[in-house]
Amino acid sequence: MILEALEREGVEYVFGYPGGANLPLYQHLHEHPRLKHILVRHEQGAAHMADGYARACGKPGVVFATSGPGALNLVTGLCTAYMDSVPMVAITGQVASTQVGRDAFQESDVIGATSSVTKHSYLVTKIDQLPRVIHEAFHIATTGRPGPVLIDVCKDVQQAEAERVTPDRLQIAGYRLNGHVDLGEASRAARALAEAERPVILAGHGVILSHAEPQLQELAEAAATPVGTTLLGIGAFPVRHPLSLHMTGFMGTGWNLKAVQNADVLMMVGMRVDDRVTARLADFAPRVKTFIHVDIDGSEMGKNVRPHIELVADAKQALAAMTPHVGPVQKDRGRWLSQIDAWREEHPLRYKHSNGRLQPQDVLLDMYRRADNRAIVVADVGQNQIWAALWWNYDRPGLFINSGGAGTMGFALPASLGAKFARPDLPVWCVAGEGGFVMTAQELSVAVEHQLDVKIVILNNFSLGMVRQFQDDFYGGVRSHVDLTHSPDFVKLAEAYGLPARRVERLEDVAPALDAAERTRGPFLVDFRIDPEANVYPIVPLGKSLNEFWEAPEA
Amino acid sequence: MSQIRVLSLEVEDAPNTLTKVSGAIRRRGFHVRGISVGPSRHAGRFRLTLQVDHGHAEADQVRKQLERLVEVVEVEDLTGDEVHSRELVVANVATSDVDALVRLGAKVLSGTTVEFSGERDEVGAFIDELHRHGIVDVARSGPVVMRRA
Ligand SMILES: Cc1ncc(C[n+]2csc(CCOP(=O)(O)OP(=O)(O)O)c2C)c(N)n1
Repeated sequence: MILEALEREGVEYVFGYPGGANLPLYQHLHEHPRLKHILVRHEQGAAHMADGYARACGKPGVVFATSGPGALNLVTGLCTAYMDSVPMVAITGQVASTQVGRDAFQESDVIGATSSVTKHSYLVTKIDQLPRVIHEAFHIATTGRPGPVLIDVCKDVQQAEAERVTPDRLQIAGYRLNGHVDLGEASRAARALAEAERPVILAGHGVILSHAEPQLQELAEAAATPVGTTLLGIGAFPVRHPLSLHMTGFMGTGWNLKAVQNADVLMMVGMRVDDRVTARLADFAPRVKTFIHVDIDGSEMGKNVRPHIELVADAKQALAAMTPHVGPVQKDRGRWLSQIDAWREEHPLRYKHSNGRLQPQDVLLDMYRRADNRAIVVADVGQNQIWAALWWNYDRPGLFINSGGAGTMGFALPASLGAKFARPDLPVWCVAGEGGFVMTAQELSVAVEHQLDVKIVILNNFSLGMVRQFQDDFYGGVRSHVDLTHSPDFVKLAEAYGLPARRVERLEDVAPALDAAERTRGPFLVDFRIDPEANVYPIVPLGKSLNEFWEAPEA
Repeated sequence: MSQIRVLSLEVEDAPNTLTKVSGAIRRRGFHVRGISVGPSRHAGRFRLTLQVDHGHAEADQVRKQLERLVEVVEVEDLTGDEVHSRELVVANVATSDVDALVRLGAKVLSGTTVEFSGERDEVGAFIDELHRHGIVDVARSGPVVMRRA
């Protein structure tokens, strides 16, 4: 019954792991050849794979896990998807309904453990609830502000026979969708941007989720307003567009931060305005007279920054409603735009490439030249993530995938495999530090088993680089438990799993290694031994305002 | 300024509803000061009245966060004066002068056990009075609130 329902929802892939409480489900999988089940090697891997799949193609990722430890292994993956509003449906086995509450073998309160990291969840104790619940779950996961939905299905329900029923039309009294755009507010917002002296737009993941990139570009061009993105909003606006401010936030570009801190009107679209974006909240965008906030989730309004104009609506509809009302643009706008150009010159992205050691940027820039803006990059968490965000000109949405809100190390490898399942037509690069890579390295088996054409780039700096940098810069230079010199030999590790690999220590070996990776069909791993002292810049020291960013030392 | 919001929720009668409501309140750093639950006019739904301290968050965040829950069908903010807000107290008192309490509006349930209902301040004043008589045991409900007609 569950499997049929999944077919009806158009599910193509299921990422899962069997166990006692979901055996009835697995017993019948082979009768549903349209559902391709991918056996992961750890349930966290399943959740991240489903997440990468969903981010790469927009369809919800589907996960199976058994009760107790199986379901609890999903928690980090659910949290990652929840923080980044990724549509996902997780179906977990639960002990038989007659056993619930008796501390049965592998029983745990999965709903309780996951309710703060899911958009919604269901415990199914009777077969007649099932068709409605599954249909609702997909609806809730994919509409409005998307997110993961968990369905905990008691084992006896999985085994029960029932008549085939098609679920009724959806009627979920407590589920409201905000779509309606307040046209008055939209035109006020448009006029505020046009009349401003120093307007800025910041775009978040919501723009990408609502496919509002064309509407964003139209509005920005009509109102001659520069656009920056959040880490998750990368791709919402072409980095090479003349109005682009690139990435914002405490590791954003210098010209972006200057623009935000000097703006008089700031419009934030499809974003949560979290502490990584604002740095010290009291000093965030201090010259702004009018904050405009557009988000589909009304609870974001005023959660961190109180807007003067708010639109609780889908980004695409809201932006489309604004553009016709832009009208004449403030006549001195050229001055603001040339001021930003001056900041761009004054605070460029730069890195030190003169000390004879391999720099991460050397690797990324070579990769970027090959990718020609049609490869997906899935980054892990840490320095590697920020380098991959800044040293690549993402001009289209969906090409940069990473765990922004949760910052989950170990995300990249499984998510990149999920992305490849979703988009077999695009090259997929996985970029990770050696610390995060080993957290989910067991999923290499999945890459090999399915001969997934994913190129794995380890930026190996022999330490928990981002933490090491924080300790050096903000915690008195005391390096405490960040040393990773006892990592495995990644080339041998790859070979043990059955995929080819190379190690690169010098600049001149970067291109040949990447050539080999590109020539190889199937997975390939390169262990780049980078400068262990390489740092991420710009960076705003913890607790400081965005004005106080540090820049890279002169090249 | 008061940090307390009074909210009336219509919620689904589902096994996880209370967990989800209290989880959302805790996760956002809010704090429950009073609660009462009972059936609502709709079959399959409950009426939940909450007094919530919203801490450092904007006052309206409590309502917005609760509205996000699928189990929550409707939230009405009843903070302010234009409401009837009733609480109930049942007490067993160590006095033979129960009549004095009756004169204050209490009703005798049996022997020295009385009940009293009223606005929050009235119930507070009544309990102060009980202290003077000596309390053996006392139970007090959360508020039940309705907008004034
Ligand atoms: C699961 C998890 N644990 C801990 C952290 C805290 N953390 C953030 S970045 C980082 C260092 C990552 O090191 P590495 O994977 O080697 O990448 P690098 O920063 O060196 O590129 C750590 C430990 C985290 N984000 N996720």
